Amino acid sequence: MTPPRPAAPAASFDAGPAVRIHALDHLRALAMLAGVLFHAALAYSPLLGSYWPAADRENWWGVDALAWLLHLVRMPLFFLVAGYFTASLLERRGMSGLARQRARRILVPFVVAWPLVDGSLALATEWAAAAVAHPSPMLRLIRDWLAQPDPPSLPPRTGHLWFLYYLLLFSVLLWALRTLGWGARLERWMEKGPQHLAWALPLLLWPGFMATGSPHPAPESLLPEAWALAVFGPFFALGLGLHGRLEWLAPLQRWLAPGGLLCLGLYALLADHWTTGATVARTAWAPALLEALIAAWGTLVVLLVGLRFLAQPSPVLRYLSASAYWTYLVHLPLLFALQYPLMDLAWPWPLKFAAAVAATTTLCLLSFELLVRRTPLQRFVG
Amino acid sequence: MNFGLNVPVIRLLIVKDWQLFQKQLAAYVLAGFAALTLLGLAKPWAFYLGSLALIVVLVAAACFAIATSLLVERKEQTLAFVMSLPVSPLDFTAAKLLGNLLTFGVPFAVLLLGTLVVILTTPLPDGLVILALLLFGHVLLAYSVSLAVAMQVESEGWNTFAMIGSMVLINPFLMAIGQIEAIQGPLRGDAIAWSLPAALILAGQLLVSAAALAGTAWWQGRKAAFY
Amino acid sequence: MTAAFAVKGLRKHYPDFALQDVDLTLPQGQVMGLVGVNGAGKTTLLRLLTGLAAPDAGSIEVLGCRLPDEQVAAKRQLGFASEDMRLYRGQSLDWHIDLVRRIYPEWDDAYARELIARFDLKPAQALGGYSHGQRVKALLLLCLSRRPRLLLLDEPTTGLDPVARAEVLETLCDVLRDEGRSVLFSSHNTHDVERLADSIGFLHQGRLVAHADKERFLDNWRRVLCLGAAPGGLDGWPELVHVRAAGSQVELKVRAWRDDLPQRLSAAGLTVQRVDPMPLEDIFVTAVRAGGAA
Repeated sequence: MTPPRPAAPAASFDAGPAVRIHALDHLRALAMLAGVLFHAALAYSPLLGSYWPAADRENWWGVDALAWLLHLVRMPLFFLVAGYFTASLLERRGMSGLARQRARRILVPFVVAWPLVDGSLALATEWAAAAVAHPSPMLRLIRDWLAQPDPPSLPPRTGHLWFLYYLLLFSVLLWALRTLGWGARLERWMEKGPQHLAWALPLLLWPGFMATGSPHPAPESLLPEAWALAVFGPFFALGLGLHGRLEWLAPLQRWLAPGGLLCLGLYALLADHWTTGATVARTAWAPALLEALIAAWGTLVVLLVGLRFLAQPSPVLRYLSASAYWTYLVHLPLLFALQYPLMDLAWPWPLKFAAAVAATTTLCLLSFELLVRRTPLQRFVG
Repeated sequence: MNFGLNVPVIRLLIVKDWQLFQKQLAAYVLAGFAALTLLGLAKPWAFYLGSLALIVVLVAAACFAIATSLLVERKEQTLAFVMSLPVSPLDFTAAKLLGNLLTFGVPFAVLLLGTLVVILTTPLPDGLVILALLLFGHVLLAYSVSLAVAMQVESEGWNTFAMIGSMVLINPFLMAIGQIEAIQGPLRGDAIAWSLPAALILAGQLLVSAAALAGTAWWQGRKAAFY
Repeated sequence: MTAAFAVKGLRKHYPDFALQDVDLTLPQGQVMGLVGVNGAGKTTLLRLLTGLAAPDAGSIEVLGCRLPDEQVAAKRQLGFASEDMRLYRGQSLDWHIDLVRRIYPEWDDAYARELIARFDLKPAQALGGYSHGQRVKALLLLCLSRRPRLLLLDEPTTGLDPVARAEVLETLCDVLRDEGRSVLFSSHNTHDVERLADSIGFLHQGRLVAHADKERFLDNWRRVLCLGAAPGGLDGWPELVHVRAAGSQVELKVRAWRDDLPQRLSAAGLTVQRVDPMPLEDIFVTAVRAGGAA
């Protein structure tokens, strides 16, 4: 008697490892490009109207609805995929190879880009504080700040490059934990199967979300922020564990549609909470739990969707993927430099949004083509 | 006496010590990480606990690096194995000194730099820079003396005494500089004001550290053989 | 042909021990066994020969290198293992192999694998879990696989069980088939020395009291049983190191046998009953008891 054959897995899980890498590569690129959209959208977010320097006079609740959902998923997804590629690199080149790669592709770009990005952002913002006729509340604050005879300086912050800093931190943690033999623990956990992920991952994230504001800010401090380690670390670890066994996720495929819908429902609850009480310091347990559930399940949903639909090589996605790192590094100063003058224009906000996104993306891709793609910079940020 | 150093073998010996120390180092890195994260919580109690933990980690890492690479090697008789490899006493000394300075120097430099950045970029008074430098100067001095003793003296008792004694002296040292008004006065100010006593103490710490290490290198280097 | 090593007028003083005036040469391709009780100076001599210790006087040349100045060049070509040498307990044999292989270009990986199989060692296991015998074999493997021209072994078989000892000795015998390689090993196990060595050096209280080909060395010694009363003055005969009378029987141990000795004994009133060659063990014990008269 032959044992019953298990049901055939979905197409992408059946495919070879190379195809899977395509899907993850594309997901990573989209997660980074989503950052451009996200940052551009913040100018029209009612929730962030008083905090964002480039906040426009006009805003719309729909921007919040979309942007913050994206926000809860894109960086977790990015760290998950980063974990996966880290494990792959570790397998191919060992710890010293990984260290060299991290130094070249993350440490050097971070150290070089940080002052440049920080400086150009400061320049653009100082110019805007002085020149913009319809400043945002934050820009007005900065204007007053600069008007002081001896404005106190602020501690250095990593800005939107925090993800590089945290990739470095996670790499150091990975080395330490692996040296202490914790790699086997991750292995044992993965052997338990993915059904535990559904409750364990949100539970892991929950305290992290409680320890920060809601919606969560970017962890821009140079000292490691506990909440960010607690929120993004588990995704990085999951990515590490998934390396070489994406089929591990196959049983979750049938939960794709219900899980996605559930996420949207939970998000509606969370958004409703935000309209009455967004916080900047601590989050109550209930909204934090909602954030944890959405981040965990939403990220898995997007990952599964990506594995199913983005697995085929595509020249456009490939180009976007190659340029994503550079684009993400340089997009924010460009975006601010474009959005500050847009603040005074009488255009409807969707037009401003579209113009800012289109111009920023074009400039990023153009500079990638001219400065990076065929130059030595390619080795670092290509 | 052959003064040409056997660089490839020295490198291998340093890598070997690093591999032997790796597990401990990983634990210290984790502890240091936890301490930094505590500092990142930006609460007074967390700041106090975090900075204390950082100093403990630094001192422990320094002592255990010396212990693993020199004292344990002697005690467990693996030293004989190392000496049977094609190295001269000078090669061996160079490997031990460089290896130890690396395992100590890198976290030391990172912590020192981090401390200075924290003082200079936060509302903490900048005058604290001098206190921080004197504190780190003491740790460096204690480490250099312990390393020199470990390389010269076989007795485990003396080595433990040198390590614990020199590191524990940080307390009386702090009390002593607390008595010196010229140092104590400007600490709460926002200017980094060097006084003569502070400058002299720091210079003394650096000089004695350098002398202890250079003296050890010279003494070991002129030995023709290990025994 | 240059000697594997040659030492002349060697002296080394420690607070409670001194090695004195040692002259010793080992031709290439030869095996020398060094015997002596604990504290006789075997380890000191081996340390001097590896360049680990510097002599107070005298010269040492090993494989054409003057020691201790050229110890790095010498140590590249020699393998040294001593009883007090330990490997890192927390690391595996593979880790040690990797370290040693990077240092010695002559490292023979195939031979190392062969020895791992022969010694039945687990290369991935941390050495802390090895038995004493396994640790000795691991150390020997690290020495032999670098294909040294001169092997210096300090008590290689001490503390080994009979099986491990047999394995180690067989391996050493294999090494010795290659005539370009020389071995000096110290042991208080005289059976091992008798089995392996071409020549024997006998150290006593810091002095080399005898050194000769194994055959000649053994040939010098005899145990003679006589009947009769031991005449006075027999103790004073220089070739006799041991005289013991039991009833009418006298046992003599001779360190410089000459064929005319039976006649001289007859002339002194003793009837020689039998003359036997002596095993090295017996020679060793007799010589040590006689204060190093070899």
